Amino acid sequence: MSYEINRRLTTKRQPLPTSAEIDAVTASIINGSFETICFEVAMHLGRAASSAIINQSNERDASIIDAHGRLAGVSVGIPQLLFISPLCVRWGLESFEQDEWGPGDIFVGNDPDHGGGHLPDYTVYGPVFDNDGKLILIQALQAHQGDTGGKDPGGFSVDAKDIFAEGLAIPVLKLVHRGKKRLDTIALLIRNNRLPSFAGDISAMISAVQSGVKSLQLLIDRHSADVVRAAVNFNIQKTEERFRDEVTNWPDGEYRSKVLIDADTVGNPDVEVHMNCIVRGNNLTLDMTGSDARPELMNVWNTFSNTRGYAMAQLASMVSPDILKNEGLFNAVEMVIPEGSILQPPPNKPAALGSFHPAVEVGEAVCIALSEILPERSSPQVYKLGMPNAIIGQDDKGRMWMDQGVDVRASDASATQGIDGWGAMCSGLGNLVLATVEDAESRFPVLNIHREMTTDTGGAGRWRGQPGTLNIKQVLAPVSAMTWMVSQKYPLRGLRGGDDAAPYSNRFNVGTPEEIEIKGSLFAQLPANAITSYQYGGGAGFEDAVLRDPEAVKEDVLDEYVSVHAARRHYGVVLTGSVENVDIEIDWTATNILREKMRAEKGVTA
Amino acid sequence: MSIYRVGIDIGGTFTDFALQINDDIKLHKTLSTPEDRSVAVINGLKHLAEMEGFSLEDFLKKVDAIIHGTTVADNTLIEMNGAVTGLLTTEGFRDELELRRGFKEDIWDVRLKPPIPIIPRRRRLGVPERVTFDGTVHKPLDEEAARKAILRLKKQGVESVAIATLFSYENSAHEKRLSELVRELMPEAHVSVSHEVLPKSPEFERVSTTAVNAYVAPRVTLYLDRLVQRLHENGYQNELLVMQASGGVMTREYLRGSPVRILASGPAGGVVGGANVGVAKGAPNLLCVDMGGTSYDMSIIRNGAAPAQPGWNWHHRYLVSVPMVQVETLGAGGGSICHVNKGVLQVGPQSAGSAPGPICYGNGGNRPTITDAILILGLLSDESDFAGGSFRLSKDGVRKAFEEHIAKPLNCSVEEAAFNCWRVVNANMTQAVRRVTAGKGTDPKDLAMLAYGGNGPVFAAIQAQELGIDRVLVPKTSPTFSAMGALTAAPSIDEERSYIVPAAAVDIEKLKEHWTKLVNRADKFFTEAGFKREQIIIHYSLNLRYPGQNWSLTVDVDTRDITQNLSFIDADFCQFIIRRFEEAHEKEYGHFREGEEPEITGVRMVATADIPKPRFSGGFNVKEVDATPSKYRSANLGEGFGNTPIFHGPTLSPGHRVAGPAIIEETFTTIVVYPGWVAIVDDAGDYQLFNKKNKKLN
Repeated sequence: MSYEINRRLTTKRQPLPTSAEIDAVTASIINGSFETICFEVAMHLGRAASSAIINQSNERDASIIDAHGRLAGVSVGIPQLLFISPLCVRWGLESFEQDEWGPGDIFVGNDPDHGGGHLPDYTVYGPVFDNDGKLILIQALQAHQGDTGGKDPGGFSVDAKDIFAEGLAIPVLKLVHRGKKRLDTIALLIRNNRLPSFAGDISAMISAVQSGVKSLQLLIDRHSADVVRAAVNFNIQKTEERFRDEVTNWPDGEYRSKVLIDADTVGNPDVEVHMNCIVRGNNLTLDMTGSDARPELMNVWNTFSNTRGYAMAQLASMVSPDILKNEGLFNAVEMVIPEGSILQPPPNKPAALGSFHPAVEVGEAVCIALSEILPERSSPQVYKLGMPNAIIGQDDKGRMWMDQGVDVRASDASATQGIDGWGAMCSGLGNLVLATVEDAESRFPVLNIHREMTTDTGGAGRWRGQPGTLNIKQVLAPVSAMTWMVSQKYPLRGLRGGDDAAPYSNRFNVGTPEEIEIKGSLFAQLPANAITSYQYGGGAGFEDAVLRDPEAVKEDVLDEYVSVHAARRHYGVVLTGSVENVDIEIDWTATNILREKMRAEKGVTA
Repeated sequence: MSIYRVGIDIGGTFTDFALQINDDIKLHKTLSTPEDRSVAVINGLKHLAEMEGFSLEDFLKKVDAIIHGTTVADNTLIEMNGAVTGLLTTEGFRDELELRRGFKEDIWDVRLKPPIPIIPRRRRLGVPERVTFDGTVHKPLDEEAARKAILRLKKQGVESVAIATLFSYENSAHEKRLSELVRELMPEAHVSVSHEVLPKSPEFERVSTTAVNAYVAPRVTLYLDRLVQRLHENGYQNELLVMQASGGVMTREYLRGSPVRILASGPAGGVVGGANVGVAKGAPNLLCVDMGGTSYDMSIIRNGAAPAQPGWNWHHRYLVSVPMVQVETLGAGGGSICHVNKGVLQVGPQSAGSAPGPICYGNGGNRPTITDAILILGLLSDESDFAGGSFRLSKDGVRKAFEEHIAKPLNCSVEEAAFNCWRVVNANMTQAVRRVTAGKGTDPKDLAMLAYGGNGPVFAAIQAQELGIDRVLVPKTSPTFSAMGALTAAPSIDEERSYIVPAAAVDIEKLKEHWTKLVNRADKFFTEAGFKREQIIIHYSLNLRYPGQNWSLTVDVDTRDITQNLSFIDADFCQFIIRRFEEAHEKEYGHFREGEEPEITGVRMVATADIPKPRFSGGFNVKEVDATPSKYRSANLGEGFGNTPIFHGPTLSPGHRVAGPAIIEETFTTIVVYPGWVAIVDDAGDYQLFNKKNKKLN
């Protein structure tokens, strides 16, 4: 059933009917308004919500969708997720008559088998009608909920056998009818959620969407519905043209990649994502045929909507950043996503963890494949961790608390041509705000011991990856801890001859006889004072390390991103002196000899 | 005896002066002297002295207060030429500054470069020590290791040391000891200690603020010391007051510990001045817009105050978490370059600046700018004096550049091209205002607009119209508005201490202790600066949030003078603050959570002192009469070209009325009265513009 729904939901949608002529300037002004309204909606939620994952991690993404279900505008957020709402809304639109859509209505959906991302990602949306009662636009807002009412707190279960284990699946549900909250349905949602903060979050989402609907109504009043429709058509068309213009400049050909995930959550190894980016003139096809479809795989099933979103987020990072983000992107790209594979699973598969992996590997595969022809814009927009260490306990009143582990860290910040990896993560995650020690320790019985970057964990390269941090934490009370490790066997891949990042690793009960290194998934009880130690993977390198400027290597060593040993081994740079004495110098003679030898061995030319 | 006060604002091009003698204001502008900015200050003061018929020395002896806004800290970050800086922090946590809690400025652009490090990793060193959330020492400070780290900084030529350890706002012993060790081993170095610079959580915000403080401190201190010395040499006998980002002013002594507080203080002066003007004219809720050559600055004033918020304030790619008047900047000014990119007309963010400047300045600029566009539209003229008569605009090359860069790619006429530039910059500014008000519970249409800066009044009324605002204020002092603002800014100390606790479980004694400490600190600095105790007013507030929320709301608790005790903390105090918080939450976000208990996150205190600030007025007691235009010219005020009356500003006086479409040419600015609008000169000689359909005409 779901394949048919997916096919229907992704059928190309027609432009909106309009008799208005539009000029480029007006269309651009209306797009600016869309972006501003989405920004306002996201800010409203970010400030009003109570769950850390929304207001702190900023996992909230506002978008505007037109009456035909096309993405018309987006704001700040997480690129991958900004592209997901339209399919969820399209499913809602299919029951427009049945659900008696009208002004003042607000809906919610989250069901992966009906256009949704994964269950925690609730899309709340409200229609905007003109004065003649015609549907013009839909304000959508998607945000990650801290719980979904499934078997495990948080909605992520390493052993979920189907979607029902993960929580409440909602194809479409009306929350507000003609401006009046439906207390029955809202109570149902609240009852199916463990977190007391959910009631506040859903209220905040509703009021944020209502504010967006109001702003869009004013915009339509001002410009007329016909002009707004014409602007939407114009901007979508323009994006498609600009994207295709870029593709025209790419050399025709087939660019392939295969990315592996260590294992699924029960240890089935080497989960494969295949990508073939086919460039023909101004046409780009992403063919994912060959991607894994083993029915026994557990919890590595990415939802259809997410596969599209993650692929597009990577593509959007590889073209000019000022191309407007809207349906034109999807109109310009054909995606072949094999039915029944981990990238378009059969109905009722669990979906929560699949939205991490293989979701990010879809983006990574696009990046690796196209890095051959787009070196300047190749930087994987990924997070290669399986799961951080989620720590769950109860306070003295028996209330659950959860330290979700979205802590300050550096991970997967890769280099691209001309720029070393920097900051905490890839650009796409630059809106996330990571949790601090002083906030966390004031709330939870934990003690953070360390979270500095580890020397030599960034992939070496002519431009190097940012190292990953080592986050060490002590729990001060007995807790449950849940985690899932990947990128241990297959860490983030270097590009164009750059080295891979160092792998992830994770240990529980450090320094005790019970110390274990975690492979795959684990749900464990930890006694008070247990120590966990999580090494995040670094960013990957770009182009061969022997091409890096030796002066830059020297600076890296002084800054302890790179060790003296690795400078010699990976970069062929021989240094004298010590970091402690701050007297590192390059031995040029030895360096030149060593580099010549390494270049010859590797067949690298300057 | 007359009161003499001087406000001084140093900008990139001009140094502005506003001299207050009782309620009278005199303005002056002189060229800035970038090599030693205090030279221009003395030059300007000499001019003011001459205007008053005094020698400089006699004049300065009379002056009660000099209040000064400076961009020296901003310039240090723009030019990246601050001190060689090092950081000592808790072992295991030296990368916070670089990781930025994950923040990156652009989520789509993989080619965004990292910020230039103000403290590279080799100069960020961890020291074994640890304090926990309640101030307990978990691991004592390892002094041997600390000495080693300090010597490693010394070896690297470090001039300024930032010290920031975990939970130092709860227990500062380790930071204090570290600073003693630095002073012992590096006696020449400047020291910035986080529990003094910003004693609050969380660590990234505190570390970053302390690092920026350390980076700018030596330059700021040197500058202020030199200026004070020159003023004193020339006869000035009082304290120099310096503008802070919070919109308040304070003494050099207070700022010595945290000079970062003057960062971004330039625009704050204008905003504070705006608040005073707004209140005087019955418009306590204001949107202030300042459009100059390169940028468009926006800020919101509510209930006559410019709220200063500590928190997520990014400046020059660094987070500075001291309270700042919220001024948002858009790269849209008169010099912003207009260009067509893949069929889309864009304005800015690149700017031709003041050199070469717009094409019409005739200084070699050859890219179309907004100033050039509004010259084509006739809003400006090449037949009138520009910028106070310093030069005239020229149309040479303007049309050709618009033809080539805009009209041709957009397939339109030069006039349409210019008009489109006007539309785009208007739309950009409108969107920017909306972003500023986003999520803050403010609807722009409930505000009046106050426009200043050379280009602000050109666009103000049309902007106002798009935002639903129907009243615009253009003060006659708008060209030197920041200097004016300095005169109206109250001395203030705005500080906060972290205290995280469920509101219902608050320890009243601890709360009192926090407030008492803050008040004593303010008392010391105010008294030292010569203020009388009964002049000092204390505003007590608390920061609260629901558990799980990241951003707190500041809730006002009480206001009283410093001699009164904390008697407002009574048995019902917890219920009182919870109720206050719920009201604030409802107002900001449209809901509050019934039955859910908020938590306190911080104790805040703002101490201010009353000052003899100039009084503004704003009534319309003079009978209205239509002003007479001095000439006509063809201009496009949004509805196509038409013969438009031009008024000469200096000839207009209170009661004069100008109905749009019309243009008023003032000495340093141009006020465009758009169709449907009317401008009236109020009793104070300031312009007030009204949207006619809403203005009840007398």
